[in-house]
Amino acid sequence: MTRELLPTASPARTLAAVRQIVRPHRRAAVAGFGLLVVATSVGLLIQPLLGRIVDLVAARQPAGALVTPAALLVLAGLVQGALTAWGLTQVARLGETALADLRERFVERALSLPLERAERAGSGDLTSRVTGDVARVAEAVRSALPALARSLLSIVLTLAALALLDWRFLVAALLAVPVQVHTARWYVRNAVPIYAAERVATGEQQQQLLDTIAGASTVRAYRAEAEHLDRVSRRSRAAVELSMRGVGLMLRFYSRLHVGEYIGLAAVLAAGVLLVRDGSAGIGTATAAALYFHNLFGPINTTLALLDDAQSATAGLARIVGIADTPADTPADTRPATETTAGSAPGNGNGPGNGSRGGGVSVRGLAHAYEPGRPVLHGVDLDIRPGERVALVGASGAGKTTLAKLVAGVHAPTTGTVEAPPGVAMVTQEVHVFAGPLADDLRLARPAATDDDLRAALATVDALAWVEALPDGLATVVGEGGHRLTGAQRQQLALARLVLADPAVAVLDEATAEAGSVGARVLERAVDSAVKGRTALIVAHRLTQAATADSVVVLEDGRVVERGPHGELRAAGGRYAAHWSAWSDQRPERDA
Amino acid sequence: MPSGRDVLLRTIRSQARRLAAGSLLGAGHQAGEALVPVIIGLAIDQAVADGDWGRLALWLAVLAAVYVGLSFSYRHGARLGERAAEEAAHDLRAEVVARVLHPGGGADDGRLPGAVTGIATEDVRRVGAVVMAVLAGVAALSGLVVAGAMLLRTSVELGLIVLAGTPALLWLGHLLSRPLERRSAVEQEQAANASGLAADLVAGLRVLKGLGAERAAIERYRRTSRVSLAATLRAARAEALQNGVVLALTGAFIALIALAGGAFATGGAITLGQLVSAVGLALFLQGPLQLFAWVNAEFAQGRASAARVAALLSAPYAVPAGDRELPEPVAGAIRLRSVTHDRLRDLDLEIAPGELVGVAATDPAAAACLVRCLGRQTDPESGTVELDGIPLRDLDPARVREAVLVAEHDAVLFEGTITTNTTPPPDPATARHTAAGEARGGAAGGNARAAGPGGGVVAAALEAAGAGDLPPDTPVSERGGSLSGGQRQRVALARALAAARPVLVLHDPTTAVDAVTETRIAQGVRRLRRDRTTVIVTTSPALLAVTDRVLLLHEGRIADAAPHADLLRRNPGYQAAVLA
Repeated sequence: MTRELLPTASPARTLAAVRQIVRPHRRAAVAGFGLLVVATSVGLLIQPLLGRIVDLVAARQPAGALVTPAALLVLAGLVQGALTAWGLTQVARLGETALADLRERFVERALSLPLERAERAGSGDLTSRVTGDVARVAEAVRSALPALARSLLSIVLTLAALALLDWRFLVAALLAVPVQVHTARWYVRNAVPIYAAERVATGEQQQQLLDTIAGASTVRAYRAEAEHLDRVSRRSRAAVELSMRGVGLMLRFYSRLHVGEYIGLAAVLAAGVLLVRDGSAGIGTATAAALYFHNLFGPINTTLALLDDAQSATAGLARIVGIADTPADTPADTRPATETTAGSAPGNGNGPGNGSRGGGVSVRGLAHAYEPGRPVLHGVDLDIRPGERVALVGASGAGKTTLAKLVAGVHAPTTGTVEAPPGVAMVTQEVHVFAGPLADDLRLARPAATDDDLRAALATVDALAWVEALPDGLATVVGEGGHRLTGAQRQQLALARLVLADPAVAVLDEATAEAGSVGARVLERAVDSAVKGRTALIVAHRLTQAATADSVVVLEDGRVVERGPHGELRAAGGRYAAHWSAWSDQRPERDA
Repeated sequence: MPSGRDVLLRTIRSQARRLAAGSLLGAGHQAGEALVPVIIGLAIDQAVADGDWGRLALWLAVLAAVYVGLSFSYRHGARLGERAAEEAAHDLRAEVVARVLHPGGGADDGRLPGAVTGIATEDVRRVGAVVMAVLAGVAALSGLVVAGAMLLRTSVELGLIVLAGTPALLWLGHLLSRPLERRSAVEQEQAANASGLAADLVAGLRVLKGLGAERAAIERYRRTSRVSLAATLRAARAEALQNGVVLALTGAFIALIALAGGAFATGGAITLGQLVSAVGLALFLQGPLQLFAWVNAEFAQGRASAARVAALLSAPYAVPAGDRELPEPVAGAIRLRSVTHDRLRDLDLEIAPGELVGVAATDPAAAACLVRCLGRQTDPESGTVELDGIPLRDLDPARVREAVLVAEHDAVLFEGTITTNTTPPPDPATARHTAAGEARGGAAGGNARAAGPGGGVVAAALEAAGAGDLPPDTPVSERGGSLSGGQRQRVALARALAAARPVLVLHDPTTAVDAVTETRIAQGVRRLRRDRTTVIVTTSPALLAVTDRVLLLHEGRIADAAPHADLLRRNPGYQAAVLA
């Protein structure tokens, strides 16, 4: 499958999105930055106060005269500290709230993406945005943004203070600016490709590690340890070298900044000589100016170094906004019904009986290709009567799963139509257990369900006994990091969710596949109870499920080749009969 | 058994040379930075105060020389430090992965792949970063020493105030911010929940889509996100307060130095320029002090990370290595003597070399348990598993795996192509067996595997596994995600067959395969494994039908043994187990 990454927002769109998110918090923004401006200004009193002490000493004043400026120094520190703490709190509130708004919108849109779109991008794309990019932006909001704000304020206000001492000090200080601007531009130009490459290499390393570690048992079984160690090592080496290239660039960047520092400092000292000579400034003023400029090094370096974080945070932000910005109503455009039910089914608490109302499915001229020119389904017509149970049979790769997904509305067909009542639910082969209490997992299907509803649903799929035997029953934490469930238990959970969602039409894709034969029979019973009273399309390779269905559809190379009740098709001696005899030859009892 | 401390020390020692050179350069840089305010003071004193251009030129030249030196040493010192950190992390990463993959196993038991990957990336990086922290610490210390020496030269009293005050300031700042730090750590952990939930929901996207449960999931995320936000804001408040406290303390400290220095200057003990230098040095000292705080934080993180790395590296092996040799060639006789382990109760069984045996279990957990014992992923609580008469626990597990391949039901495919997944790794031991297998297979049956040494075996295995129709260069994504369930299983089976081990144990190899293909696969396995010991643990009648003999595993022991057809006829328990 060719990868087609999810959208990334343009810089203009990103900026617009940020503005939109910050707008409701304008007052907090003004208050926060206002406080930081005052705090920084107070901090800038330190140098003139030190200059004042120098002047007092130069004027041979008694030591007692120094107490006042020293006390003022202490006061300035206290006030600066208090205001900074307050301002930073405000800025953090602004940043964090905006970030929360953004990530919520992002998750909302990410979960609303058409599944096919998300799959085409590869599982890593969405996941890396959810974890990596959100974390990177959060980190920037948390540390880079306040630091950047404070540094920029320091720079601007220090320059203003220099101008207040004498405008010529400001001119001298600004001599460093061309060097710094040139250096910053040089850096950004060169850093972008290196950091982009580094992110890719780091991602590949992460992917390789996950691949190798998750498959450790398989690696050991095949004695492929050396090969995998080599793979990991090569990817790690590539990431290390790229990261060192980034470091080299950054260090050259600092070297150039040192040149700027020197030029500015020399100029300020020269201005001091000039001004003291012509009597327009005292030694104290010249001292304050030199100390001001010396104190600028920190903020300037911080600001320029944060370009780095800003750069990667902006890239991350563009990837988040790219998703958060997608129109909300994209999924299932062919069948808006699915979307409607997604919103209404959980809320209206429709009890049992919704399913029994039934609802037919009508498929016309359905064709589908994941990649242009490689169709997996051709012209499929299929009708399922309300309440009918249809088994979908065929060799692996015949297109069963694709047809199931199209009927369930999780994929949109390339051509053709699917008509189905709102709220088709699908249980897939891949079962994910959501991390957290088991009850929370189930409530995703019906948020308003009471514990009794949950127990009833579990009982329907024969899962209540083992759930109640779990350490904390329904409250047991399952999924990643929690209690490990077996494959069959995970499938039962998926079926219980189906019962809770209570759809009129249920699509089941080999819901019994991963359990092994003994588990499969338990699951077959669970499937039977779960789809009772519903229109059901069941992808079955265990033909017992076909034998008990109302009707069997045989798919071959993406086409429906046979359709009819189990008995008729068996007698007809076609494809199904071949499948059945392969299946039942091994099971003489059944055949009898 | 290494502790976190050992891992840290070892990491630092492994980069000793880079670290020594980098520290030297870092010290040079800090010394240079400390000299800058001194030179500013001298320039003000001797050039600015008297308006002397010649003096100014002299001091600017000195300043230029200092700048060249500090810039050079910073650039090269930092480069060495970063290189040391990266190399240390790289080496440690390889060590972690090697431990996870060690034939003895045990490091990945009870740890999720995501968590282990986290150790191999984030924790390892933090341990590496400690090398850089040491370098920075040495540099900061030398900055302090140089500044202190210059202050002492200026005035012993002033120098002592600064040198005594600096650690006091550090200590006070640390004391005041410790409760804040602790609180902030707790809050940050809570804040991480939102990110974890988002990743989990995205991972379960298919399930959510299938149920139309996106709305409910979005609502849940919003609630968690708001709780996280509240926690984050509390953490941010704590951090802001900490920032404010440090600022206020620093201001007070500078005031103290200015006051004392001013008094000394008034008294004529020091010159005006020395006063300026002292104040400049006191300001400069904030740099090394902040560096110390950073070093401290890096060390704290590094220690925690090193402890996690050490715990993984020192995880006990699931199966220890024995010291007996396995005679060549491996005949493939398997024997279990009163094996009791988990679901197995006093199990005895014997499989002759070259036999194709089915094991049908009434309890899937017991089947899984037997498979683990046969592949020596675990040693039984009591009893022995023997290969050619030698107990497995007396052998090196690596050697066992070269003789016995257990193809687990949930074995994963790796990123690559079908060919890269099915071609046996170029391991000398494997090559030995493949060659032996080829020779034996050729002699015994003259079957059609005469083509090239690797490719022929793979092609034959793919054919036998019912995957001959899949183009060998079909790309396989992480964990085989790009293939359908049935395709994945058939490729995994082909891989097991291509490895051509003297003993092969297959566990439920065809659960996602349709009945027609399954029958073909059963024939293929029989053909390809002729004269080599093969155990198929399954309840699939199609597979059991081609075996020489089936063992019925019931209540932890072998309840019956006979050819499939006989068992079907006479044993109702067996019928119930395999017929669906």
